[in-house]
Amino acid sequence: MKRRLFVASSLAALGLTACGSAKDALTNGPFRKVLLSAEKLDHGVIGTRGLAREYRDSDIDRNFRVNGLDTPSDATYSSLVRDSFRGYRLIVDGLVERPQKLALAELRAAGERTQITRHDCVEGWSAIGKWRGVPLSTVIAMAQPKLGARYCVFHCFDVDQSAEHYYESLDLREAAHPQTVLALDLNDKPLDADHGAPVRLKIPTQLGYKSAKWVQRIELVADLRPIAGGGGGYWEDQGYEWYAGI
Amino acid sequence: MTSDVSVETFSARRTDVTGERVYRHDVIARATHWLWALAILVLVMSGLQIFNAAPYLDASDKSNPARRVLAFDARQVDGRPVGTTTVFGHTFNTTHLLGYTDDGMGAEDGRAFPGWATLPGPQDLADGRRWHLFFAWAMFIAWATYLISARLRGKLRELVMRRADFAKLLPMQLYYLRLRKEPPPHGTYNPLQKLTYNVVLFVMFPLIIITGLALSPGVDSAVPWLTPLLGGRQFARTWHFTLMALLIGYFATHLVLVLSTGFWNNMRSMITGWFVLGEHDGVGP
Repeated sequence: MKRRLFVASSLAALGLTACGSAKDALTNGPFRKVLLSAEKLDHGVIGTRGLAREYRDSDIDRNFRVNGLDTPSDATYSSLVRDSFRGYRLIVDGLVERPQKLALAELRAAGERTQITRHDCVEGWSAIGKWRGVPLSTVIAMAQPKLGARYCVFHCFDVDQSAEHYYESLDLREAAHPQTVLALDLNDKPLDADHGAPVRLKIPTQLGYKSAKWVQRIELVADLRPIAGGGGGYWEDQGYEWYAGI
Repeated sequence: MTSDVSVETFSARRTDVTGERVYRHDVIARATHWLWALAILVLVMSGLQIFNAAPYLDASDKSNPARRVLAFDARQVDGRPVGTTTVFGHTFNTTHLLGYTDDGMGAEDGRAFPGWATLPGPQDLADGRRWHLFFAWAMFIAWATYLISARLRGKLRELVMRRADFAKLLPMQLYYLRLRKEPPPHGTYNPLQKLTYNVVLFVMFPLIIITGLALSPGVDSAVPWLTPLLGGRQFARTWHFTLMALLIGYFATHLVLVLSTGFWNNMRSMITGWFVLGEHDGVGP
């Protein structure tokens, strides 16, 4: 009995030692492609269905947690802040019939939706905020997408330490979801700089990183691959799923 | 159903069949068993990697420190790093073990679970999620395949817990504890095995999949009653973690029984299917 236990525990110890190198070989080896295939399966099975839960005023986090990259501090963004975003124009271009340059007042006039929804971060935490803005579908309809347009890409003001710009993308089906909004207000006040002023995307049916902050330009495209790392988003280019419904 | 003589309702130690070989596990049972073993190992390790990104658990819908049941932290005490674990408000020093641990790159850092326990080793939420979400499918497919195959082969009948089995739980436990000479009469699986496998297969596996899905904002929108049923998203995360801990507890027990009831015989039967009858039959893992 003792001998067997010894043999078994030696095998276990050997297994654990082999584990470390095996783990890293598997992570970056040819098996990686197989690993990535789960995203398509999840997208197909879960997809974007139904509506995210909407909460009551009493559920709101008054100090909504700040996430994402650092608040932009470059000259362009700083001057916009000083000017209270009077000079800001949201650009909608790419595969559209009528490119748009929308001032904040025009965005507010275009349509309004208010929703109290939960923000689920990929890290695991959740916070509830009240978002008011214009449905993304309204803005996209104003620009009239061309036939070949499949995705809208959100180009943002924020950059990381290696000067890579934040960007995100949705397909036009997700963009048309009634709760996908270009938020202008958080908790009854215009967005502050830390929360993505003046315009951020809010898509409560997916994880938080899809809800791009500091949106500068929306570009309609047929293919995501030519843009930046080709993954369809800043975090996607670093290995995160483009379909962030799970 | 090859030569199941041994296990059809034997009431005493059948010395007359000792040494006889029986085909105990069919190829589907063996394949799904090892697929589970691999999937659970990967799921636990990648799950701990994901957990490390937000190393706390709340019994609430949105994150709420007032409802925190478990938290890991790293702080400086007299200029030295200390790792702490807080369970229901009680804080313990767990430096080097939890909270401040192996960073997977040969040093130590503020990290809930150590690098040797996570997949990948170093902090990497993106890859942790990739592993986790892939092997969740592997586990689900193994589970469904086993149950369908067992049902088609008529094996499921031998496994499902029946009313008569409950009365035999205590005698069986007494037999394990050597307070009773013989096990109560039973079929392929003894009543304690049945109970354990029923809890694992029909309660824990479905629940760990459901609690995991409840964390997904896409599932929460598509099936809006599920997440509230579990107490909200953070609570679902807490249940998911708890079930993982229970599964590890099951695995530890399983391992002890595999080792103590004829390790090589057990291993052979789970690899080739053939089990040699002996003094341990009916008391397996």
